[in-house]
Amino acid sequence: MSSNADRRRSATGGGLPLHWWILAPIFVSLSLPLAATLLYALATRWGATLLPDGLTLDWMLRLWHTPRFLEAFGRSMFVVASSLLLSLVLILPVAFLARTRFPWLERWMDVLVLTPFAVPPVVSSVGLLQLYAGGPLPLVGTPWILIFTYVSIALPFMYRSLINSLRGFDAAELMDAAQLLGASPLVAFLRVVLPNMRLGIRIAVFLSFSFLIGEFVFANLLVGTRFETLQIYLFNVRRESGHFTSALVITLFLFILILTWLGNGRSEVAAPKDRNR
Amino acid sequence: MIRGHRWSPALLCLLPFALVFCAFQLAPLGYVALSAFRVGTGWGFDHFREIAASTFYRQAMWRSIEIALVSSLAGLLIATLACYGLSRVGGGTRRVLIAFTNMTSNFAGVPLAFAFIILLGANGALTLALQRFGLFESFSLYSRTGLMIIYTWFQVPLGMLLLLPAFAGLRSEWREAASLLGAGRVAYWRHIGLPVLWPSMMGTLTILLANAIGTYATVFALVGNNYNLLTIRIANLVSGDLFLQPELASALSLITIALLTAMTLVQQHLLRGRTHVE
Amino acid sequence: MTTTHAPQNLVTSISDTPVPSPTTSDNAPNYLRLRGLSKSFGDTPVFQNIDADIVQGEFVTLLGPSGCGKSTLLRAIAGLTDIDAGEIEVDGEIITRLPPQKRDIGMVFQHYALFPNMSVRDNVAFGLRMRRVAPRSRRERVEETLALVELGDHAHKYPHQLSGGQRQRVALARSLVTRPRILLMDEPLSALDAKIRQHLRDQIREIQQQLALTTLFVTHDQEEALMLSDRIFLMGQGRILQQSDAESLYTRPASAEVAEFVGAYNRLDARAARRLLGQHVDGRKLALRPEALYLMEENGQGYLPPNPGPACTGLIVKRQLLGNVIRYRVDCDGMTLNVDTLNRGRRFLRPEGSQVVVYADVDEARVL
Repeated sequence: MSSNADRRRSATGGGLPLHWWILAPIFVSLSLPLAATLLYALATRWGATLLPDGLTLDWMLRLWHTPRFLEAFGRSMFVVASSLLLSLVLILPVAFLARTRFPWLERWMDVLVLTPFAVPPVVSSVGLLQLYAGGPLPLVGTPWILIFTYVSIALPFMYRSLINSLRGFDAAELMDAAQLLGASPLVAFLRVVLPNMRLGIRIAVFLSFSFLIGEFVFANLLVGTRFETLQIYLFNVRRESGHFTSALVITLFLFILILTWLGNGRSEVAAPKDRNR
Repeated sequence: MIRGHRWSPALLCLLPFALVFCAFQLAPLGYVALSAFRVGTGWGFDHFREIAASTFYRQAMWRSIEIALVSSLAGLLIATLACYGLSRVGGGTRRVLIAFTNMTSNFAGVPLAFAFIILLGANGALTLALQRFGLFESFSLYSRTGLMIIYTWFQVPLGMLLLLPAFAGLRSEWREAASLLGAGRVAYWRHIGLPVLWPSMMGTLTILLANAIGTYATVFALVGNNYNLLTIRIANLVSGDLFLQPELASALSLITIALLTAMTLVQQHLLRGRTHVE
Repeated sequence: MTTTHAPQNLVTSISDTPVPSPTTSDNAPNYLRLRGLSKSFGDTPVFQNIDADIVQGEFVTLLGPSGCGKSTLLRAIAGLTDIDAGEIEVDGEIITRLPPQKRDIGMVFQHYALFPNMSVRDNVAFGLRMRRVAPRSRRERVEETLALVELGDHAHKYPHQLSGGQRQRVALARSLVTRPRILLMDEPLSALDAKIRQHLRDQIREIQQQLALTTLFVTHDQEEALMLSDRIFLMGQGRILQQSDAESLYTRPASAEVAEFVGAYNRLDARAARRLLGQHVDGRKLALRPEALYLMEENGQGYLPPNPGPACTGLIVKRQLLGNVIRYRVDCDGMTLNVDTLNRGRRFLRPEGSQVVVYADVDEARVL
């Protein structure tokens, strides 16, 4: 392998190898918007100059003294945490039964989990707005409709992580073994299967969390300013002080980043077992 | 536990999920499908006729397709090149770059629009820098070109993440076997590398197209209702301040879904008989 | 592993006539010459100072445990791995610096390395296409080669539609069709089932002889090496430990390492050698294959070796059935010996705990 690298290096004649001429511009372009926002969030003042005048953490700190931000943060956490809890309670049994008892369900779910990807959020909103604007369930404008909708759009992330985790061990066999040893199905599930799924659940929760916290379309169309979540708040203040909003964007992004990293980083630890299969 | 018994009490555990999923995913979709044909108190194709007759809606459709095609093809091309580059980079660097790609793929919607304003807006850092060198004088982020740039930007990381597994599936032995049989680098990519990647590239293109057509948050945060796209029109018809026309929005929604379906069908057609994946 | 072939080699060793091998005769010119090949990955040497000559049409096996550098050596000859030092010469031409495309060497990979996007026919035709062979003669040669590997009926199929054995035959055809100067095979049989492996092994040898192809075959399977090769290069720790034909490698190991790899040799110290062979060897060790020891009943029933050493009475402590061979562990005057005998049937089985007399075939003892 290393020798192939040698040959490549010699083939391009000393200078930067060809693939770096491809990678460098692409990754620089990808990092520019992020870098600019980060710099803006840390700049004291950035007028008509190429680089900012000085650096400061003021903007980042000011965010945490802004009541409107804190309220939006709280609302987002409420909506996202509730949907995650609800979707865990709803989807966990489905994944477990699909894996252990009803193979037909697994085949169905494989198709079903694609719908939230296949249908653009704007299209779903059209139906949701008309179904729940009035009638027996007037949910539009309340956080409840967001919570339920988020359960359905988090389905692919939730279900995939959970089913993958269940595929990592033979849950049916564990259930049989536990019951032969005298446990009831419920106890067997709670005491034997669930602990083995801890990692999968954590991945599911973190991935869905970072996805939902960045959700804007439903939040805007179904609830809007009546219940200002982080994304709506960001949207509303996007024209105000660039530095402050930059700090908001960076904070949000870091938040999402840490969550994804917690999800992925953990899965990396668990991955070797999977790779060997 | 009796396996294979279809009507056991365990099925009751599926009920809550089924209810929520039906009520908030399937029912809205069904409602859209029905209300698109709802005219007053009867049924008909009036909304579709109205859309077909309106240059405004035709423009929205056309622009959605245009920006989806341009940004998806450009995104696919750049992502393919990037994956090729990554395939030649060693362990540590490669892992960092892939983690970075993952990171940028999470950067979407309103924050992305804002970052682009900071970078390429009228007073954006890059805009100013380039203008100093006499470039980009007439560039506007809020124009068609500007939107295409931002679309392409978010398509690239997504395309990369979708293509990386396919590139990882290219086995080094194929290149070695090909080289022993007399094929150089170009011949290898022409006869083996690209043909093997082709199905994944088509699949990726379809997902990128769907992603572009369904995009709403980024454009809306950037230009509000001022750029004519299908998603903008639909949203405006159900949440604008005046003239709500949910049935018309439903019809446009159906057209959008039809577009996505057509793209998938085209992709499947292109890949017919190419099921040679090992 | 010695099990299946022990009887055969027992016979050949008694008759003591070397297997005639036309290709190793002295007057044939060396076709592939390796001179001082060395390679290390970082600080770890993979192989060092490899010298070897292979005659045209010869089938040579690189045999050795995994990690001994045999595959890397093969890849170096193919040009897929650069070497640090040394020279590779094929048919009088030095190819050390040539890229693989220009070496005119064919290679069969362990996991087939078939191009998944091409049919069997296109896979086989690929090398000819790269050499710009005209379509008509291309077609002819592809059909011809596919017939040679008995895959004529599968030309239109894709690799994923074939079994492992069929895939490897396609890979073989693909590397044969360009008529390479040398055919390299990197453990081509190790991914296959036992049955198919045997069949394909015979087929490879047949085709190789039919085309008089100079072939270098890498394997860790001794049986394969013994059955296929004109000559075997036994590799260990990045060196060629012994180059010889199969019979000599098996019966006359050049060193303790070779003996170790080749079979369940009994290693005798000076005292044991005196006791079993009646010979005096000072300080050095002797190796004796388990089938060079003969068991006699106390009543004198049994076979005697052609050149028996002193009798040694012992006790069978363990009996293992290895198929057509039975291995006894015999405690004999403080020595523990492995003795292999042919499994001739129940009547000849000796129970554990029974007394036997052990004779060594003095001619078969090797000084290490």
